[in-house]
Amino acid sequence: MIKISKEMRRLIVSAAYHANHGHIPSALSIVEIMKSFNQVETEDDVMILSKGHGVMAQYACMKELGWLNDDDLFNYFSDGTELKGLSDSRVRGLEVTSGSLGHGLSVGVGIALGHHINKSQQKTFIIVGDGELNEGSCWEAIQFAGHHKLKNICMIVDKNNFQAMGETAKIINQDNLGQQIESFNFNVIEIDGHDEVVIDETIKQIYSSSNGKPNCIIANTVKGKGISFMENKNDWHYSRLDQSLYEAALLELEK
Amino acid sequence: MRDTFSNKLVELAKSNSKLLLLSGDHGYGLFNSLRDSNPDQFINMGVAEQNMVGVAAGLSRVGFRPIVYGLSAFIPIRVLEQIKLDVCHDDLPVIFIGDGAGFVYSHLGTSHQSTEDIAATRAIPNLIVLSPGDKFELERCFELAYQSNLPVYLRLGKADRGDVHTGSLEFNLGDIITLKEQQLKTSLIATGSMLKMASQLCEHFPSLGLVSVPSLKPINEEQVRDLCKKNDHLITLEEHSILGGLGSIFSEIASDIPNIQIHRLGIQDKFSKYCGTYEYLLEEHEIDYTSLKTAIHHLIHKNK
Repeated sequence: MIKISKEMRRLIVSAAYHANHGHIPSALSIVEIMKSFNQVETEDDVMILSKGHGVMAQYACMKELGWLNDDDLFNYFSDGTELKGLSDSRVRGLEVTSGSLGHGLSVGVGIALGHHINKSQQKTFIIVGDGELNEGSCWEAIQFAGHHKLKNICMIVDKNNFQAMGETAKIINQDNLGQQIESFNFNVIEIDGHDEVVIDETIKQIYSSSNGKPNCIIANTVKGKGISFMENKNDWHYSRLDQSLYEAALLELEK
Repeated sequence: MRDTFSNKLVELAKSNSKLLLLSGDHGYGLFNSLRDSNPDQFINMGVAEQNMVGVAAGLSRVGFRPIVYGLSAFIPIRVLEQIKLDVCHDDLPVIFIGDGAGFVYSHLGTSHQSTEDIAATRAIPNLIVLSPGDKFELERCFELAYQSNLPVYLRLGKADRGDVHTGSLEFNLGDIITLKEQQLKTSLIATGSMLKMASQLCEHFPSLGLVSVPSLKPINEEQVRDLCKKNDHLITLEEHSILGGLGSIFSEIASDIPNIQIHRLGIQDKFSKYCGTYEYLLEEHEIDYTSLKTAIHHLIHKNK
């Protein structure tokens, strides 16, 4: 069982500080999502992190699951270590190599198609970023999944409303994202992506759903969630923590 | 050659229900037999090549053997990153068929022509690159690709030029095939569609040796080095850019061998300018029979 989300956030901030690495808010926005989906994932179900920039959230889960130890995170980015700044499929717990965006959804659709052909019940969950949905390949995958009624797939959009250079609304507007995805024959559920109870209930709903459509959860999140000076401050997409800000962040997480 | 591909495909599909042919809305006639005999093993993925490669990666992770078919301008060129990240990085057994390589679509212009695909694919780790020159090489290449259980790019160029070999072949991955021994220490080395051309040129230049290279990666370096030692001049011939293809492969291997010169004949670093028949496009790029005959004549006489 994974401990409270605050502990995961502490692990993320700590790893990033020691590595002198950015992408912290991208990980902070998916903490509750990653926590919930790591817990539902069975041996056969697959969870794919397509937005590779959030990989530190998965490292935090892996630490809580006992797949990583303190040293792995403390030594993050040290020479010769295996955990990279973006998702790498060779690391246990990560299914695809991403960071170049728009890959995970198609791979997940392929896995789901294979299960569908085999008439097996396994589910495939894919976490994509809202910025990632700028990629045309995502929409190729969405239209294919919708056409083939791949009901064993669930795409979770981390809708934190920001991407590397600014607000998604000002770069590629996604005001009607839910309707757009729905129009490709998806079942779309919009939730608060930081409410663990709601996330868990939604996952249960998807497991018991019988509407014959692929599923999409639009998880409304806050980029940088949990650290007040990072929340919705997009400069933090690339910024690093110095010692005083690191200490301030830890202090907030202890509250 | 295309019939051979179609027949082999049906044979493999019948023997393995996990084989799936994914097409990017291409190859209608080519897959009629498969669609008749094993309709569930053919999936038209639509005009969405990026998704097609990602889906193939996913399918192969759950035990399927996807064969991804498209024109070589799209598979591999359009989807090079998907091939690299989704398939090759994880060493997944996906076969990519790039059809119509070179100038097959001579009338359609640059969008449908591919003269850079060998250079691009062979720099991707874990990816095998095959380029058969006639139906016998194709049959063997297809077998090797399937048996390898690894990522493979199979390049298919102009396919109606006739065969060079006379029967089934037993070569392995990496082997180069000597069809004719050289008499004056000069050999023609060809791959893909240029094999037939090279064999015709050898009739005009009977002293030349002739070697076919259906396996561009891996390539048996020892065999290439032996060939370099037996010759003073190797003339490579390919319907591909002279940058990064067959000529480059031989030049790289020969770089530390004294007294061998590699002469790379192929497409210079340029796009086609004109519309026309396949023959016309070969002429435009000076890799038609007459241009090559002249070029080889000069090489032989310059080096006497």
